[in-house]
Amino acid sequence: MATKREFDADDTSSAKRVKMENGNGSLDPASNPYLAHWNEPMAKKDPSNSADRLHSFKRHATTAKQAKAAEDGPINPFTGKTLSNNYFSILHKRRDLPVHQQREEFLKLYQESQILVFVGETGSGKTTQIPQFVLFDDLPQLNAKMVACTQPRRVAAMSVAQRVAEELDVELGAEVGYSIRFEDKTSPSTILKYMTDGMLLREAMHDNNLTRYSTIILDEAHERTLATDILMGLLKEVVLRRPDLKLIIMSATLDATKFQKYFHNAPLLAVPGRTHPVEIFYTPAPERDYVEAALRTVLQIHATEEEGDILLFLTGEEEIEDACRKINLETQDLIREDAAGPLTVYPLYGTLPPAQQQKIFSPAPPPLKPGGRPGRKCIVSTNIAETSLTIDGIVYVVDPGFSKQKVYNPRIRVESLLVSPISKASAQQRAGRAGRTRPGKCFRLYTESAFKKELIEQTYPEVLRSNLASTVLELKKLGIDDLVHFDLMDPPAPETLMRALEELNYLACLDDEGELTTLGRLASEFPLDPALAVMLVTSPEFYCSNEILSLTALLSVPQIFVRPASNRKRADEMKDLFAHPDGDHLTMLNVYHAFKSDDAQANPKQWCHDHFLSYRALQQADNVRLQLKRIMEREELELMSTPFENKKYYENIRRALVAGFFMQVAKREGNGKTYTTVKDEQNVLLHPSTVLAQDSEWVVYNEFVLTTKNYIRTVTAVKPEWLLDIAPNYYDLATFKKGEIKQALQRVVTKMERKEAEKGRR
Amino acid sequence: MAQSDEEEDYMTMTFEEPKESKHETSLQRAARMRKEGEARSRQKSKAEREAEAEAAREASLATALPETNKGFKMMAKFGFKQGGTLGKSENARKEPIRLNIKEDRSGIGLESEKKRKFREAWEKSEREAKRSKEDQGDFLQQRRQQQKEKKAERDLDNAQRTAERLSEQEAEEKGSAHTDEKSLTDINVLWRCRARRRVEHQRDRRQRRELDNGLASRLPTYVEEDEDNDSKLALGRDVAPFYTSLENELEEEDPELAEFEALPVTERLQKLLVFLRETYKYCLYCGHRYPDAAMEGCPGVTEEDHD
Repeated sequence: MATKREFDADDTSSAKRVKMENGNGSLDPASNPYLAHWNEPMAKKDPSNSADRLHSFKRHATTAKQAKAAEDGPINPFTGKTLSNNYFSILHKRRDLPVHQQREEFLKLYQESQILVFVGETGSGKTTQIPQFVLFDDLPQLNAKMVACTQPRRVAAMSVAQRVAEELDVELGAEVGYSIRFEDKTSPSTILKYMTDGMLLREAMHDNNLTRYSTIILDEAHERTLATDILMGLLKEVVLRRPDLKLIIMSATLDATKFQKYFHNAPLLAVPGRTHPVEIFYTPAPERDYVEAALRTVLQIHATEEEGDILLFLTGEEEIEDACRKINLETQDLIREDAAGPLTVYPLYGTLPPAQQQKIFSPAPPPLKPGGRPGRKCIVSTNIAETSLTIDGIVYVVDPGFSKQKVYNPRIRVESLLVSPISKASAQQRAGRAGRTRPGKCFRLYTESAFKKELIEQTYPEVLRSNLASTVLELKKLGIDDLVHFDLMDPPAPETLMRALEELNYLACLDDEGELTTLGRLASEFPLDPALAVMLVTSPEFYCSNEILSLTALLSVPQIFVRPASNRKRADEMKDLFAHPDGDHLTMLNVYHAFKSDDAQANPKQWCHDHFLSYRALQQADNVRLQLKRIMEREELELMSTPFENKKYYENIRRALVAGFFMQVAKREGNGKTYTTVKDEQNVLLHPSTVLAQDSEWVVYNEFVLTTKNYIRTVTAVKPEWLLDIAPNYYDLATFKKGEIKQALQRVVTKMERKEAEKGRR
Repeated sequence: MAQSDEEEDYMTMTFEEPKESKHETSLQRAARMRKEGEARSRQKSKAEREAEAEAAREASLATALPETNKGFKMMAKFGFKQGGTLGKSENARKEPIRLNIKEDRSGIGLESEKKRKFREAWEKSEREAKRSKEDQGDFLQQRRQQQKEKKAERDLDNAQRTAERLSEQEAEEKGSAHTDEKSLTDINVLWRCRARRRVEHQRDRRQRRELDNGLASRLPTYVEEDEDNDSKLALGRDVAPFYTSLENELEEEDPELAEFEALPVTERLQKLLVFLRETYKYCLYCGHRYPDAAMEGCPGVTEEDHD
């Protein structure tokens, strides 16, 4: 146990150093591991004041040695309780992490400057350790402040908080907690809070200076999510107003100089990851079919390469499931021919249930017979395995060079996921995955010259690929008026902002001057897209706020209908049970109501399984509904329903739908299948999943899906009179281009006027 | 909507009565409505629809939002001008990111590879077209040149044959070795190519004969490709060619001959003509072997001199 001894020796010296540094002989027993037994009676005397155990610590002047000593226990310096055995076994591993080597260096830079850029590759331990390093120096509990650490993904925020709570030997939700959209697991004693970047942005809306935090850590900044980019722009201003606030930008890639430059040349600290060399192979010629080439490569690796697991990157759920099936089939053949050992294939994508996601960590299968060819596992994943998830044991990476990326174009107002070539940075990141445990190999399914010439350097940050309506509303709420000069790291095209402002104006969230309206202020309280928020806020006017609340929740969670490839027909039959002829929104509502019935709630899991519904999504919807309901109650929005017996029950819901989605309307061309979107005039088809009968002339849609065909998904029939009635500004015929839609609307206007006149005559 | 005349063909016209155009009965009206409906509901073909959708999309994507956009006015308030950018960095983007819709599973680089190949093929044909155009001008001159070269080649062959014959005659007279028995390199380089050609020809004949014999002996069996050398040997199929040595000799480098062959035809011809005159007092164009070195009566070395 050489490492153990080294570790002990190190600690002795640390204790000595503390003694020397304190000089005047007043050595704090709490920081001396050899006097640890003294602490116990003290702890009993005063267990409530936990900060006492750190009282020799001077804020922003502590050393790594001091912190280490405090960490060595036996009393938890934050709770005053005795530390558990589990704590010490984890502590041992933590000290082995690469970041630990640079704790002193980190503290020095952290203390010296307000902003720090920290670069640590995945696996360096930065996400779990740096916030703890900060805790021991920033001592937020002394000033009743907190340390925040943002994560781009909900799952990461939750799992990292869980892990760090364990590392600090505290209850999750007590000293260490997390906060994600629709879920807050913190308490008044929380001093370290992991949260999604979006959550921190929402908090800033109410507290423009983020006064409750003494240090903010933006983790995974290299991912350049929309919220992280906005936060960076915001914090760049906040740090000027709050000199006491410290900011750490953490990134996993070496492009960190861009962050440095953006933050007025902040100091940079880099910690090398623990990586092995990765040999990179290119194909001699471009591939005709990248999926087919990928399968071929995986099987070839399995048949010819040494032991080691395989990671294959593909683009989406369907492609991945299909690939898994094919690899399984082909492997059976290989095994039968005794050309290879067993191979277990695991899919991995965002919408996969967590239990199944966990499976990827199970070890590779053993050889079929003792001494036989070794088994291996193959993980077929979307780009979530690129940065956010670390899987040990991967030695071979197969990279076809594509991923599904969100794109937005303000000219046709389409936000969609498209399969696109990855960037060079992404390709390097993928290759790096092969060198986590030992030297590995990366097979790129494109030529070297294609890598050099065709791939862009960096993936476009999300802010360039998103509809900014929601962001603009948030920024307005944050009190930022001049959005034109808001200092973003990569400002989007002006048309993106233009479109966002226009949309918010039509939704009556901004007035013609660009000022926030009462409705806008109210809508910004909801963590929702402006259209959804406006629909929800105005729903009491249509006597159906209960139903719209449910519907909003349903539209905020992943797909509730399950349609397994093996059982499509049965799944469709089940869906038809809930189908409402007027459209998908109403159908979803029917599902929710059925889900909440006593019948279903007796055994909801089984019920969902029987009806081909996602229990997880429905449960999540239930939770989201609860959260939104609280906001509605807080904002004094009335919750009501039209009696179900009333024949206007469904009509009211459809009208309320129009109040939010009048900018997402399409009209059928003649009696054909094709629809044309209003104003943007794009030709679209109803998505095959719709339950809507084909004879609906006007529909609202939730989503415009861009593929080789243009689809609108989740559609419900509406009446043109409602459009003119509910959104007169948008349906001002003077602003319409000449064409079938204008003509049709003109006819409706004439008809309405005639009716009005008749009424007047009577 | 007005009555759609385009729907009515000449057949119905003949049955039409003047009264009907004024007053439409309910039946007629129903028929007209049905017809109009059908026209409207005529299903466009899938390809037509997709092409239309794509065209509409591309058109919209190529059009920037106009200044009449409400958002533009709000931005103008803060000093934004058409063509400007957002934020404070210098190279902020002006245009939205292009939308590229991937329609198949082609790998990275395949599309540009196809384009490159197409471009290359196009450039090549372009180049060739250009060249042939350029060449058209001096077509006649070129034609003459070609003929001249052909003539020179014929003359060269004649000269070589004559030189060889004369040298053989001389050798016979002297009683030394016949050309065929000499090593190739001992033959004068000026006509060595003739000897070489003969050897090559012989070798080809021999090879063919060998192959024919071989085939006849081996039929109807066949050679398995993956048989190793040992089994080939065992089965008597060690068919390593016996003419290797000969071939090797032929394949051997003959820098002297190569150097000579590299010269232009006319130059080689010149050398031969001079050689014939000096050694054998023979003029190819007179077709006569002169008795003395003065070669009286021969107008000169070249063909032109003999015109």
